[in-house]
Amino acid sequence: MREILRQSNIDLLREINRLKSVVYSASVLPELVTYQAQILITCEMLRRQGQQNLRDLDLNRDELLPDILSETQRLASWFRLYNERFAGPILRSLPSDQLCLRIIAWLHDHHPETHRVPAALSDGGFGIWPEPQFPIVYIMPFSRQRGLLYLPLFFHEFGHLLYVCHEAKMDELVYELQKSIADLLESTPQQDDLSAQEGAKRRRAIAVTWYLWTQEIFCDAVGFAIGGPCFAYAFSMYLRTSGRDAFYLPRSQLEFSHHPVTWLRIHFLADQVRRAGWPKEAEKLENEWSKIAATMGVTEEYHGFYEDRFMPLIRKTIDDMLTVASPWQFLDEDVAPSEWDPQSSSPVHLLNTAWRMYLQDPASYDSWEEQAISAFLESHRNE
Amino acid sequence: MSTDWLAVQSFQRTQELLTAINTLSIHTKLELAGIADDERAEAAAKAREKLALFLKAFDKIVREAEQTNGETLLGIDPRMEQLARKFVAAKHDKARFHSPLFTQSLSEAANLLAPTEAKDRQALVEYLQDLRTLVEEHLHADIHQILHQF
Repeated sequence: MREILRQSNIDLLREINRLKSVVYSASVLPELVTYQAQILITCEMLRRQGQQNLRDLDLNRDELLPDILSETQRLASWFRLYNERFAGPILRSLPSDQLCLRIIAWLHDHHPETHRVPAALSDGGFGIWPEPQFPIVYIMPFSRQRGLLYLPLFFHEFGHLLYVCHEAKMDELVYELQKSIADLLESTPQQDDLSAQEGAKRRRAIAVTWYLWTQEIFCDAVGFAIGGPCFAYAFSMYLRTSGRDAFYLPRSQLEFSHHPVTWLRIHFLADQVRRAGWPKEAEKLENEWSKIAATMGVTEEYHGFYEDRFMPLIRKTIDDMLTVASPWQFLDEDVAPSEWDPQSSSPVHLLNTAWRMYLQDPASYDSWEEQAISAFLESHRNE
Repeated sequence: MSTDWLAVQSFQRTQELLTAINTLSIHTKLELAGIADDERAEAAAKAREKLALFLKAFDKIVREAEQTNGETLLGIDPRMEQLARKFVAAKHDKARFHSPLFTQSLSEAANLLAPTEAKDRQALVEYLQDLRTLVEEHLHADIHQILHQF
């Protein structure tokens, strides 16, 4: 066993050194320099762990072998995570990443909890790995990285990071909401033909499901709080063609699901848009989704996982969560129809301008976008 | 929009726990063998602190899991709840989990992380071994969600 562990640790050390060398030699954008340094620090930490394992093996104590085996396995999975996930954003780095990285850096710099927290970009479906102990990686599909229109969806992902930064308080608020929903359901006589036990089980399932649903709705709210209308446009446009699942799910798939049905999220988003003072835009947003649903013959039905009477409870919880997380909020000038100024305007102003330009004249949008991206990158060239 | 973030959070939490378990286990075994392990003494002290904090917080979740008779818990990360359920099941699985400490409450176990007597050190080693088995089995699902199987 000792020899097996020695071989494995020597192999891991060789691979760690190789990764460290490749990451060190990579030529990266200025926005990735801190992230690169963070990866190198971890590689060094992993290398030391491998060496410690070899030293522990040299003690020749059989009783330590299960511990050293566990440490070797832990080192192997930790290394895999860096080798397969966290090194990628450096080794795949392209000059075109600069647009996304600038937006992400701006986002992080405008919140005290994430100020100077390095982050990187990876390819794939929208997502984030938001554990502050790890390097933060935002994930976005290829073509969406190259334009302005879908960058506001990073703001939703940033919401997950804010949740983690305030996890204890957030969980407390979500717990209160879950209890309120459970109490509300408890106080209502059972409509359908369920036994008392089955009814209690179903009510519990609904309350539990709202743990993850609340987080998603909170992240949507963060997205809108930061981006304003550009977030609502990006969110709706990106998701409205994702298929029937975005409008309806059977009860069995709703139970303990990670995301609420997107149509429901649209209602919460519209509620936020309305409360921010844009009732017509909110109505338009909901109407578009209703039209798509009608075309598919889908009727709104959440099988008790959402009822209109939940709305005030959820709204209050989300408002409280926003107060705790305190994301940067868009300013009047960010949503004003004034010209975007590369020198003085925020990236949020740029993204709102992009959506206005796109919706006004999609045919001429691409050439405008190309110039706007160049101006945006040029304006921050020496920062 | 991906849900890998849940697995990443759980992975991080579990890995930290595993480091603390292994560090304290090696240190305690070397103490039992009369071998000086000064180099790891500070790390072992930190591991004790981390484990004590974890066990106290986890105790609350486990108690709730025991009281709710299999019902899912509110206000708790689903992966953490799953670990609590596995712990409750493990307490009754005498064939796989042998440590006498495993049958005690977690807060009682947390008080035994700094033993001075040899028999208590031995008990701690056995407890850490059982705890590690539980944590490693739990970690498996996160690893496979994040890294996928070969």
